[in-house]
Amino acid sequence: MTTSNPTIRRAVPVRREISLRMREALHGYAFILIWVVGFALFAAIPLYETFQYSLNQVSVTTGSIELSFVEWANYSRAILTDPNFIELLIGYTIETLVSVPIVLIFAMVVAMLLNFDFKFKGLFRVIFFLPIVITSGPVIKELTAQGAASAPGIADVPAVIDFLEQLPRALRSPTEYLLTSFVLILWFSGVQILIYLSSLQKVDQSIYEAAAIDGASGWATFWKITLPSLSTATVLNAVYTIVTLSHFSENKVIQYIYAQTYDIQGGIGYASAMAFIYLAVMILLLGIVYFFLSHWARRGSR
Amino acid sequence: MFKKWLSRYTGNRNRGINPKGFHVSQIKFYVLLIPLSVIMLLPILFIFSSAFKPPDELFAFPPRFFVINPTLKNFTDLFAKLSTSGIPVSRYLFNSIMITLVTVIASIMVSSMAAYALSKKKFKLKQTLFAINNIALMFVPIAVTIPRFLVIERLNLLDTFWVHILPVLAMPVGLFLMKQFMDGVPDEVIEAAQIDGASDWYIYRGIILPMIRPALATIAILTFQAAWNNAEISTLYINDESLRTLAFYLGTLTSTTAGANTVAGQGIAAAAALIMFLPNLIIFIFLQGQVMSTMSHSGLK
Repeated sequence: MTTSNPTIRRAVPVRREISLRMREALHGYAFILIWVVGFALFAAIPLYETFQYSLNQVSVTTGSIELSFVEWANYSRAILTDPNFIELLIGYTIETLVSVPIVLIFAMVVAMLLNFDFKFKGLFRVIFFLPIVITSGPVIKELTAQGAASAPGIADVPAVIDFLEQLPRALRSPTEYLLTSFVLILWFSGVQILIYLSSLQKVDQSIYEAAAIDGASGWATFWKITLPSLSTATVLNAVYTIVTLSHFSENKVIQYIYAQTYDIQGGIGYASAMAFIYLAVMILLLGIVYFFLSHWARRGSR
Repeated sequence: MFKKWLSRYTGNRNRGINPKGFHVSQIKFYVLLIPLSVIMLLPILFIFSSAFKPPDELFAFPPRFFVINPTLKNFTDLFAKLSTSGIPVSRYLFNSIMITLVTVIASIMVSSMAAYALSKKKFKLKQTLFAINNIALMFVPIAVTIPRFLVIERLNLLDTFWVHILPVLAMPVGLFLMKQFMDGVPDEVIEAAQIDGASDWYIYRGIILPMIRPALATIAILTFQAAWNNAEISTLYINDESLRTLAFYLGTLTSTTAGANTVAGQGIAAAAALIMFLPNLIIFIFLQGQVMSTMSHSGLK
């Protein structure tokens, strides 16, 4: 029997070898597979269908949805004839462009303060992380319902009215927004503070020591060491801020799109088109912010 | 005993964040930080205070921040309403707890695995997938409601328990944040583990996950809130009353269509908002210790 020649038994059928790179890729796909399936079903496919709706006049009858192809009519209607949409979009753009720098600067300052050594530092970190439970969910809804999220009173103070009238037209509404919603903007900085803090802690302390030995002032250290090492975190924070601001449930553009979805005059097709225009504006904003920040980051790292 | 338990589970114990002593030079930090932290605490105080406001204070103009004559009437109104409910409130509560629990655990697993692949593995579709995720991240969720309804209908998921969980599993924000945090984990750590013969699964479970604990805890808080406060799914995809969530139920109590008059409704809404908010706060207190103490120490110089 084969016992006389054990090597024959051990011989394995020739297996098709897969390369290391292929295996690496397969492992990658294995890890991401569940996510891809879920994402495709509940996000990608709906997104694609929404795009189709935006090119159609959609009418919902009992049990079925009828589409009639209208090309880009929904888009041109939103951009050219809708009296409210463009105005809301401009308002949103201004608000975002005002809020993002404030959130970033505020988060950066707080993160740096929280990175120093002092008693009760842990407690303060918790307090500044708290906004994460405020800005989503029932709290912010209750606050805006009660009118506590903004300070509309400020805009009625005579001195403020005078001040606003002195300003050139283009600066007036951003300033007014800034004054009335300053506190609200600060509430959006919980996660951002965390991201800054974690990247501050990754900065090698020996760089600071070397700078101190060379006689660098605190001011110079901030501009030459701290700020450049926060550039990646800044880009990330900017993206996160824009996204949370634009998905905020009290956002006026979102509320308008929502109202139009179930409106007889509007309809699903029209609302879908507006959603895509909104997306385009958001991507544009992100592009602008990203361009400036990455430009600055490159200069900083030089 | 209780104090020990509390400090163990809320991360209250000294993990070396706080320096031991207090020094006069630290005063400048307090001068800056205390006013700012008051601003951060205001909303929490507000939600507590308005739950105890009598109607005339709720409707006062200009709105007052703190309650002057605290009353429990809002709560008694709320509980009176709860006892008249057709389906026991515990049913809604159980649904909410189950759904939230499963969603948080499953969604963290799914998106952290995906983030690991996107951050540390090399394969062809990597960039494309991340780009698609980023677009989805920015897209208005309400615009996809109707197509999503159709998908769910085709999958026969309407009126099931799973419809609460499956659609929210692939949370783009979670994947985005986790991938960014994992990018911060140095490749050298993983290479070292690979040389020592660690499998992919071990690297993910044993190295990556512990290192990004702050991100995991952050995503857990965010997901918890999204799941716990979600009333939309109950409205859109569920017809069976016994499968709906507490958030939905409390929402119906306070809306005017339920026959409540607006004045009483506001008071009940304030009390309900506090009750809905408390679990968020509790989860936050439990998880913040994770976030704060282990903030990405790579151990690599």
